[in-house]
Amino acid sequence: MIETSYFLNHLLDHGFTFSTGVPCSYFKDLFIALEKDDRISYLPATREDEAMGIASGYFLGGGKTFLIIQNSGLATIGDALTSLAQLYQIPLLVIVSYRGLKPDRDFPEHSIMGDVTKPVLDAYQIPYWIIEETNWKVVLDNALEVMEEISRPVCILVKKGVLSE
Amino acid sequence: MKGAEIISKLSTILDGEELIVSSNGNVSRQVYHLLQGDQIYLRGSMGLPVPIGLGLALAQPYRTVLVITGDGNFLMGLSSLTTVAHIKPHNLKIIILDNELYATTGGQETVSSAIDYKAMIQGMSIDSVKSYDMRDDENLITEMLKDTLKEKGLKVLHLKVEEDTIQLENIPHHPREIKDNFVKRL
Ligand SMILES: Cc1ncc(C[n+]2csc(CCOP(=O)(O)OP(=O)(O)O)c2C)c(N)n1
Repeated sequence: MIETSYFLNHLLDHGFTFSTGVPCSYFKDLFIALEKDDRISYLPATREDEAMGIASGYFLGGGKTFLIIQNSGLATIGDALTSLAQLYQIPLLVIVSYRGLKPDRDFPEHSIMGDVTKPVLDAYQIPYWIIEETNWKVVLDNALEVMEEISRPVCILVKKGVLSE
Repeated sequence: MKGAEIISKLSTILDGEELIVSSNGNVSRQVYHLLQGDQIYLRGSMGLPVPIGLGLALAQPYRTVLVITGDGNFLMGLSSLTTVAHIKPHNLKIIILDNELYATTGGQETVSSAIDYKAMIQGMSIDSVKSYDMRDDENLITEMLKDTLKEKGLKVLHLKVEEDTIQLENIPHHPREIKDNFVKRL
């Protein structure tokens, strides 16, 4: 597992001070760290598209935001992404749990989205990376570089056990 | 009164420093053509003017942020008002122009006529909400808009309005330019 406080420190180093989203159990420990860290605020949203709206407004006001969502929320953000964040060229880091793989075999509710997560991201034309405990810094830095370069949302996919026990 | 008339009226009350987010369709066109400044004219993202205004208000706590939204947009993103209620940003103002229609797409009805907006929004603990029927009453509009914009604190103003009859040109800017102009202005 990635040390969640290192992970947040790294995001702070990149200038992120605000976050929003809808929780996933894959981020339980990340949320505990976020709650303890008063340098980054987290605003609970009711829906993932709403979170993307809030994040976009925050960016337009001069701030830098990341989102934390479950991959089921990728189904919810479609219009917020294509007709807002991508179209208005708003750079956002979207941290997405990658549910519906092997460890989730007892959770059929995630199985189909698990199967289509990558095709959905490809179809949305969002650049994405999978982060692991061993390579997360390099991958994250690269993702953020691309985000700034294209001034659009990018995604990192997080498997079970990477940002929470 | 019609929605466009209320937006025109706003031009006499705004001081030009407000940051405006307008909902997609007719409302954004009206805000673009009838009000000044480089604002955030939404061209899509139906249902999201309130969350976008919320994010903007949090990032710009010293500026007044005004969301102008149709009822269709407002109802699509209704749960975002509960998030607003949770945060209560002191600089956020929301005006709902309720024509009980999806006017932009040809005037199909919304579910708005079933709703008691004041009771609903008060139920979200937004006590400052005001609701008026402007369909055959122009009195008080200036006062209400002033109260919404000039008084401190989170405000929600719900106005029943008549259907618009004016036809306005499309907004001649790509969202990229809308964003660039807005960011430059800040
Ligand atoms: C997700 C989504 N669904 C449908 C539409 C089509 N659409 C564009 S504007 C609009 C009506 C908006 O209604 P309202 O906010 O009440 O404003 P009005 O048109 O009445 O001024 C609709 C349905 C859309 N743009 N996005």
